[in-house]
Amino acid sequence: MLKVTGLTKRFGGVVAASKVNLEVHEGEILAVIGPNGAGKSTLLNLLSGLVRPDAGRIEFLGQDITHAAPEFRTWKGLGRAFQIVQPFPEMTVRENLMVGALYGKPGTSMPTAQKVVQQVIELTGLAAKADTEAGELTLLEDKRLELARALCTQPRLLLLDEVMAGLRPAEAMEAVELVKQIRASGVTVLFIEHLMPVVRALADRVVVMDYGEVIAAGGYVEVAANARVREAYLGRSA
Amino acid sequence: MILAGVLLLVALVLPGLPLGQWRAFMLDAAQFAFLISGLALAWDLLARTGQLSLAHGAFFGLGAYAAALSAPALGTIPALLLGGATASLSSLLLGLATLRLQGMYFAIATLAFSEVMRTLVLKSQFTGGSIGLPVQPAFAGAYPLGGYYLAVALLIICTLVSLLLSRSRLHYAMAATRQGEAVARVLGVSVVRVKLVTFTISAFLAGLAGGVYAMKTLFLSPYDAFGLGRAVEALVIPIFGGLYTTTGPLLGGLIIVSLETWLRLRIGEGYLVVYGVILVLTILFLPKGLMSLFARQKGARHA
Repeated sequence: MLKVTGLTKRFGGVVAASKVNLEVHEGEILAVIGPNGAGKSTLLNLLSGLVRPDAGRIEFLGQDITHAAPEFRTWKGLGRAFQIVQPFPEMTVRENLMVGALYGKPGTSMPTAQKVVQQVIELTGLAAKADTEAGELTLLEDKRLELARALCTQPRLLLLDEVMAGLRPAEAMEAVELVKQIRASGVTVLFIEHLMPVVRALADRVVVMDYGEVIAAGGYVEVAANARVREAYLGRSA
Repeated sequence: MILAGVLLLVALVLPGLPLGQWRAFMLDAAQFAFLISGLALAWDLLARTGQLSLAHGAFFGLGAYAAALSAPALGTIPALLLGGATASLSSLLLGLATLRLQGMYFAIATLAFSEVMRTLVLKSQFTGGSIGLPVQPAFAGAYPLGGYYLAVALLIICTLVSLLLSRSRLHYAMAATRQGEAVARVLGVSVVRVKLVTFTISAFLAGLAGGVYAMKTLFLSPYDAFGLGRAVEALVIPIFGGLYTTTGPLLGGLIIVSLETWLRLRIGEGYLVVYGVILVLTILFLPKGLMSLFARQKGARHA
């Protein structure tokens, strides 16, 4: 579904992504993990088009989108939720979602968008807050809104950037259930996560990054046993 | 919304009211207030996308000159439309070059544009240069109230466009662009296109207002038509009245311009000081403008 080859991005002297090869298969949940500064968020920015790569190629649904604008990728079905939640603060929850529903697919009419929004509100448990201004939400509600807004663009592949960070364990498990539901509805998921229980509960496959490079890929158990992965997380033993 | 309707209704019947010896002055002052309120409504449209324009004085001036120069050949209404189109086209070119710039840089670019336009008009022959340009009255003077009702019509058009846009699909794109550009793009909003479309609509209305103004004052000079003062007025009014609303710029415009007319009689150019004081006081005590006084009313945010 998504195929990344040789993707490279430098910021000055820092290589944030170095010849990254990655493939996401339709229907799976793929976790991207790695220590802080490993280049995970840069990878997501490259995928959603907010950062331009220096080299490499991104293919989505058989189409080269390496240099496509962010909005074009969204129209094609590549959705994205941000790590630092950025709701439109002067809009209500419903209005926030309307933006995604109206513009995620070009030419969506107001009534159609309203229907999509209503479905997503129910799925994500935001019904009680639907007409609250986004600036007044709690962190958990903010995270839900972030996820809901991405869902409103009706993605086929959803990129989630640490949407569970800062949540209490019980809340995180609630979110895990939500992501499972999203996948069950036919959406492929690529997520970045620090919380290993979440990764274990959700991921079909895990990709590990360090210093901008993919150092391992495979099932959770296999990756967790990998020597390079242990080294990256725990540091080199003397 | 109701307030806007009442104001427009009063504007329509004003010439029929028994105003006595003040009638001519009142109508003239009201006409000016309508035009500037229309300009403020136009400016607010672009502000909804998060862009601060200092070019609206120039669009007003371009519309004024284009309408004034073409009115003898085309007639009043086509000339006014040409004025709007001229402003709109120039905003499209300016926008293509500058709307990728963020906030402050865009504002500076529009300021530069205003200065360039004023200099061009000042140095050109066909505009009358620094001597100025006599303008024929609306409908060649056939209807005494023609100019007045053109101003009322302009105000109604600006109000309707403002209301319709705040109820349209574009409303969501504009607000999203203002409140978070990167996020808006990832949600599928073509932010540059949204800004460009809004800019051309906004400039068209500003140009239209300028044309009606030309036919009211009957004489244009680059200093008056392209003055920075008007660009400032176009932004002070929505800030005072309530940004991103329709009633805000409308009500704010009528209040501020009436006040300005009255102060000009008393203290001449000193009214600019009062302007500054109003702006500072508004930002300090009513950051959401006059509209925040009505904020508890349901739906006031979109009124």
